[in-house]
Amino acid sequence: MILPAADELLAPVMAIDGFRLACLIDGSTGMVLATREFRENQDGPAPPTAAAGAADVINALTLLNGRLATGENLEDVMVTFSDSFFMVRPVGLDQQPQILLLVIADRQRTNLAMAHRSIRDFCASFTS
Amino acid sequence: MSQVTKRTRVQRLADSVLPGRTVGGYANLIEARLRKLAATASTGLLPLSGHGDGGIFFRGGRVVYAESTRTPTPVRRSVGLAALGLVATEASPASNGAELVALPSLERLFGMLALTEPTIDAITELLSSESRYAKFRSSDYPPAGQMSPLSIEAVLAEVERRRQVFRQLAPVVTADSPVVRFAPRDPPSFQVTSSQWALLVRTGDGSTPRALAMALGRSVFGTTIEVYRLLALGMLVVPGHAAAITSGQPAPRPAEVMSFIRALADAGGSNA
Repeated sequence: MILPAADELLAPVMAIDGFRLACLIDGSTGMVLATREFRENQDGPAPPTAAAGAADVINALTLLNGRLATGENLEDVMVTFSDSFFMVRPVGLDQQPQILLLVIADRQRTNLAMAHRSIRDFCASFTS
Repeated sequence: MSQVTKRTRVQRLADSVLPGRTVGGYANLIEARLRKLAATASTGLLPLSGHGDGGIFFRGGRVVYAESTRTPTPVRRSVGLAALGLVATEASPASNGAELVALPSLERLFGMLALTEPTIDAITELLSSESRYAKFRSSDYPPAGQMSPLSIEAVLAEVERRRQVFRQLAPVVTADSPVVRFAPRDPPSFQVTSSQWALLVRTGDGSTPRALAMALGRSVFGTTIEVYRLLALGMLVVPGHAAAITSGQPAPRPAEVMSFIRALADAGGSNA
């Protein structure tokens, strides 16, 4: 994590039920800007690894979108693992550099629809 | 009987006294010097020279700023046409970050990044194997436009991750590889981001990612990755593929796939 002062910005997403980990990532360089972890997330994924994976996923989907050329924008990515949800959303759709929000949450304790809404609202508030 | 040849023994002896010939060269020595400055909570400037000149500023043993002649210096964040690099922007006067407090979260984040990214970009360049450091100047105060202090270990981990990404990209494109726009006979159907468009409209004959980064005031590292993406999309090509350009055939694309997660693993930082 390269911007310790930015950690506080992630405080709102820690209220998501089942929250495990959140990162802000510079999508253009893959650099982790800020990180917040649930205190009992000892066995969870390492933030740098999770962030690098999120940046790779967005990179691949951006290339796909570039080739499809449908004029659409990538809004978010939701991945379901056996024990967790992995959610990535660009913060500000047409902003440069592209900042990504990654949230990992416990699958058993998270209402996916509510989490999705919380992340969307957080990103909206982030830009206003 | 020793299995080591005379030549090998001579090589080892040379390595022990000529750090420029060791694995990693002077970069390892610079990293050791940086760690020592951190351990002694030093404040001041460590000048470096090599391909380009520059320096790394410390405050209390933490990195607050760095500059290299081969990477852009921090500039005020651009908006509108300036963000696309289509109009000239003024380099910002020194900023202490105080004006960021009242801004919305995203603007605050961009403000922090506008100082941090050029610093990390410069350190990545300064820690190349050809660089050498000069005497530390403890009396030199850091410039006002400095980022939040960073631990040297965090900086070195990020620099190593970037080196691994550069190694992945090297067979396809480096920061100093010339690239040209690909112009097929039939209009292509692609969708690019505003950042990619800014690069495309500025790419001329022999443009390099570094030259584009300097022109746009963006990170050399980030611009090289963006150029790689445009190569992957087939919108840019390296000049060696001129035959494909003139024949109107689809542009050759890089076979290698860049991966941040692989770079992190190669840098040994998966659990950092």
